[in-house]
Amino acid sequence: MIQRLYVHNFRCLENFELPIKDRPSVLLIGNNGAGKTTVALALQILQRIARGTNRVADLVKPKDFARGRGDVPMRFEAEVDIDGRVYSYAIAFDFPPGFRELRVIEEKLAVAGTAVYSRELSEVHLVRTSQDTEATFRIDWHLVALPIVQTKSERDPLFVFKNWMSRALILRPIPSLITGASEEETLEPGLLGQDLGAWFSGLLAYAPSAYSRIDGYLREVMPDFKDIRNPEIGKDARSLVVQFSNDSGRMALPFEELSDGEKCFMICALVLAANEAYGPLLCFWDEPDNYLALSEVGHFIVTLRKAFQGGGQFIATSHNPEAIRRFSDDNTLVLYRRNHLEPTTVRALKDVEISGDLVSALIRGDVER
Amino acid sequence: MSANKYQPHVLVLPEDDANRQIANGFQLKTSKVRQMQVLEVAGGWKQVLASFASNHVPEMRRSPHRLLVLLIDFDGNLGRLETAKANIPGDLTDRVFLLGVLSEPEALRGSLALSYEDIGSALARDCRDNTDETWGHHLLRHNEGELQRLRDRVLPILFP
Repeated sequence: MIQRLYVHNFRCLENFELPIKDRPSVLLIGNNGAGKTTVALALQILQRIARGTNRVADLVKPKDFARGRGDVPMRFEAEVDIDGRVYSYAIAFDFPPGFRELRVIEEKLAVAGTAVYSRELSEVHLVRTSQDTEATFRIDWHLVALPIVQTKSERDPLFVFKNWMSRALILRPIPSLITGASEEETLEPGLLGQDLGAWFSGLLAYAPSAYSRIDGYLREVMPDFKDIRNPEIGKDARSLVVQFSNDSGRMALPFEELSDGEKCFMICALVLAANEAYGPLLCFWDEPDNYLALSEVGHFIVTLRKAFQGGGQFIATSHNPEAIRRFSDDNTLVLYRRNHLEPTTVRALKDVEISGDLVSALIRGDVER
Repeated sequence: MSANKYQPHVLVLPEDDANRQIANGFQLKTSKVRQMQVLEVAGGWKQVLASFASNHVPEMRRSPHRLLVLLIDFDGNLGRLETAKANIPGDLTDRVFLLGVLSEPEALRGSLALSYEDIGSALARDCRDNTDETWGHHLLRHNEGELQRLRDRVLPILFP
């Protein structure tokens, strides 16, 4: 669970801290352009580092500085509780005159307050442990150290943090792009959900029992759901097929022919199963209510919220009144930005004075004052 | 397609936003999330009864599997329970339930030092575990009769 996310000088986020400590589920609301999706982008940068992207130019660009302020460091910090230990990762970039791309000026990973490694510019200092002596080495300042430093075992704090961050689910699916085809397996699905077939294969390869969770949820939302198969369609290639049946017969549909909303049911099923199989996970889902029928939105949100109460953390953004109503004042955060020249601010809804119904106040534009 | 309309299900009609959040917390602890739906806030106890009469009475007659919980504030006036009950048609009395805080949810929140959602979750835990730790609070104790009916009809749907 993320205890602290701090972002500075990145797009609309300046001296920005997301107050989500000890909250298993959180909703971010706010006008278009308030910064909700930028929070996801910040998390995605940390996730991409953990997944192995180490070239700074592949992570952030000069245009990402808030209002072009390249003379002020751009900073990302996350404190994450994993199995009761707090892992702190921080990285800062700058963009000196004459440079063509940003460079790393600071980087640090610590566990329970004790540094695993720290870095200033190109010099990385590995802290001495019971197994290893301390070491200092230099790397290109256009490279991030976290993906490069060798991990010793699955208990190595470096491995634990990278594994947790890389398996975080940061989702903004576009169902029309999801075909269900796959040529590999993964436990690390991409933002848009295009690799859902590979995620399904990877999840079931990792934990075959996850199928029962997927099956159980899909039967709840689609009463005529029978099963889902992933047959080989060529060398190293598979494609999902969903079967439906009722008293009048059965039919098999290629996954890509499901409706957009039904594809979101499938994504939800995989989120639930993944959190049980290899969680607890962080799941940031940007507008999960998109594509869903109004009668399904509330159930969808509550199902996700309930699933993450037992472990992990679910963060959603939404403009949908029904989704907004399924959260409460203590777990709804209001992001606000006065104009494009000013940064995003964030407040818990419980600290915002609202007259009457929240959704009505949002429609009136009376929440952000 | 909504999966629960033809199975026993529970709609909750809250008077105000505080009651909505209590219902949210309750739903998070149920075993059958899809069998419960928290509806839009009515905006006052009289509006709850008006919405019940105009929207829900005809729909409930068409949906025999539907149960309805009305969440109202008694504002210190337990006579409101009888007033509200008098608005429930005889053929629906066994499927409609009236619950609420004796004064208002703000007082309960202050007394318990819990968020509304956590109060709802605590009430659900009482239901699940057949205890009355929270339902026994002096601002909720008056619900005992309705709670017994709830235990008989609603809880088997939400905590099978």
